[in-house]
Amino acid sequence: MLSDSAVNRRRNLKLYAADQRLKFRRSIPLLLMFLPAIAYFIVFKYVPMLGLQIAFRNYFLMDGIWKSPWVGLDNFRFLLSSGQTLATIRNTFVLGILGVLVSFPIPILIALLFNEVRNRTYKNLVQSFYYMPHFLSWVVVGGIFTGIFALDSGVINAITYKLFGFKYAYLYNEGSWIAVFLSARIWKEGGFSAIIYLAALTNVPPELYEAAAIDGAGKLKRIIHITLPSIIPTIITMLIINMGKVMEIGFDQVYTMQNDVVYNVSEVISTYVYKIGLGRGQFSLSTAMGLFESVVSLTLVLITNSIAKRFDKGLW
Amino acid sequence: MKTTRSERIFYAVNYIVLTLGAVICVLPFLHVASQSLSSYRANTSGLVGIVPVEFNVDAYKQLFQGTRILPALLNSVKITVVGTVLSMLCSVMAAYPLSRQHFWGRKFFMKAIVFTMLFNGGMIPTYLNMRSLGLVNSYGALWMLNLINPYNMIIIRSFFEEMPQELIDAAKIDGCTEMQTLWHIILPLSLPVLVTVGMFYLIWYWDLFQGVLIYITDTKKYNLVVLVNQLINQNDIVDKLNRRSGSAMAVQISPEMIRSAGIMIMVIPIICIYPFLQKYFVKGVMIGSVKG
Repeated sequence: MLSDSAVNRRRNLKLYAADQRLKFRRSIPLLLMFLPAIAYFIVFKYVPMLGLQIAFRNYFLMDGIWKSPWVGLDNFRFLLSSGQTLATIRNTFVLGILGVLVSFPIPILIALLFNEVRNRTYKNLVQSFYYMPHFLSWVVVGGIFTGIFALDSGVINAITYKLFGFKYAYLYNEGSWIAVFLSARIWKEGGFSAIIYLAALTNVPPELYEAAAIDGAGKLKRIIHITLPSIIPTIITMLIINMGKVMEIGFDQVYTMQNDVVYNVSEVISTYVYKIGLGRGQFSLSTAMGLFESVVSLTLVLITNSIAKRFDKGLW
Repeated sequence: MKTTRSERIFYAVNYIVLTLGAVICVLPFLHVASQSLSSYRANTSGLVGIVPVEFNVDAYKQLFQGTRILPALLNSVKITVVGTVLSMLCSVMAAYPLSRQHFWGRKFFMKAIVFTMLFNGGMIPTYLNMRSLGLVNSYGALWMLNLINPYNMIIIRSFFEEMPQELIDAAKIDGCTEMQTLWHIILPLSLPVLVTVGMFYLIWYWDLFQGVLIYITDTKKYNLVVLVNQLINQNDIVDKLNRRSGSAMAVQISPEMIRSAGIMIMVIPIICIYPFLQKYFVKGVMIGSVKG
């Protein structure tokens, strides 16, 4: 019996190997076509990962990535002891978490509202206004917002000054700068992010609504008990994706909206890495900062995903 | 079904809220557009709302005559056109093998690509890598940043996966190579998804900002976005323009005029392709969201 199963196993293994060889031979034309992709991802995505080692070295131009002296965790120790870098890390978290909290519910609300619109022409027209800002560069959106909220030339201050004789330096106070920053983000992405929820809403069977209506459920009740639960999986998926983005508040947005006066709350990891890395050539330190950011955001994604998995909603 | 009174109120409120939101989306454009078309006097005294005051096109004249906006525009076009073509070619050639059930190593390759979405070398190691390849200060660096965007590639792959297997088998029996099958059979049937993803790449390259800041050191090679960002932030540009015009044109322009005109030049091309774009992207986002 025992030897029988061993023979069997060996034969299966052989068959499997032969099968794989055949599969490989048949795939050769496809592999040739796939070659540029392999080359691209190795050369431009995986090789830079090897460069992350300079976070643990003291990078010298002459020595390069592979020969600069090892310094262990010195760079990280410095990052976690300097007031400036700690503030940068704190800002990244604060702006990121506020960003997710504030900008997460808006697209869901917009999708729920659009879902109740019955006039198709109106729906299509108005939706196109909501999606438009997504396609603009942050330079444009940042420029528009800093322009509107400017102290002397901004239209908001012009209006409040004319009506109440009142002006406010929105861009030069930390609290109001954060508010302007978050509203710009909502303005740009809020409408567009609703698409995914709208897509999920098209799958809700209409019989559910009819049944609920016959049972006497009002409009709001129907939204709360039928519409909302049916998009919970999408909401969780989007939450996971957004958690991963907590740390990567886009460079472009911060860079185009920040100013020296609110430097204390507006400097985030990506802008800091750009300034001290490329601006001042401190490659090791800035790489350590970047690595810290990547590891935290990867961890956040994995944690959120494992929580979601417990509710059977994991992404993988 | 009869609509009750409370339902009618609900619908009314719904329309009002949604319309208000749409107005908020549009107002900033109207404001910036009218700023760019208003006079110096109107702009500096804060009179401009959402219609041009004392209409003129001085800001645009000054931009095209006194700044490098035209070369920057041409640079943007070059970056965008070449980048989009390269990205589409490589993404399609990556997506097709990955869409085939019997492709050797399919799962492994897919995982290796998705991993790069979750983790990457980051700004500085990527920069050092580009530098060692001699790509600094060349558009090559910009095209290699996002040559195959995993998200876009997955959208294409999902579409290819829906193709009936018989179609591919039939092409093979007729003696088509894989490349011919892709080119003559699959691609003509995939136009909607190709247009969607093509548009995503197009916008990405057009709006590219950080990459240009990092990799392009020669100011003559700057694209429109970086130039407009300079117009927005550097007031001395306006002074220079005014000194220039003091002798020739005798019109003054304000920083608001220049920044808003710059913004409009960025926005107008996007508004022009937007109606075309809108037909496709909703579908594209849906495909990506379901399978990705």
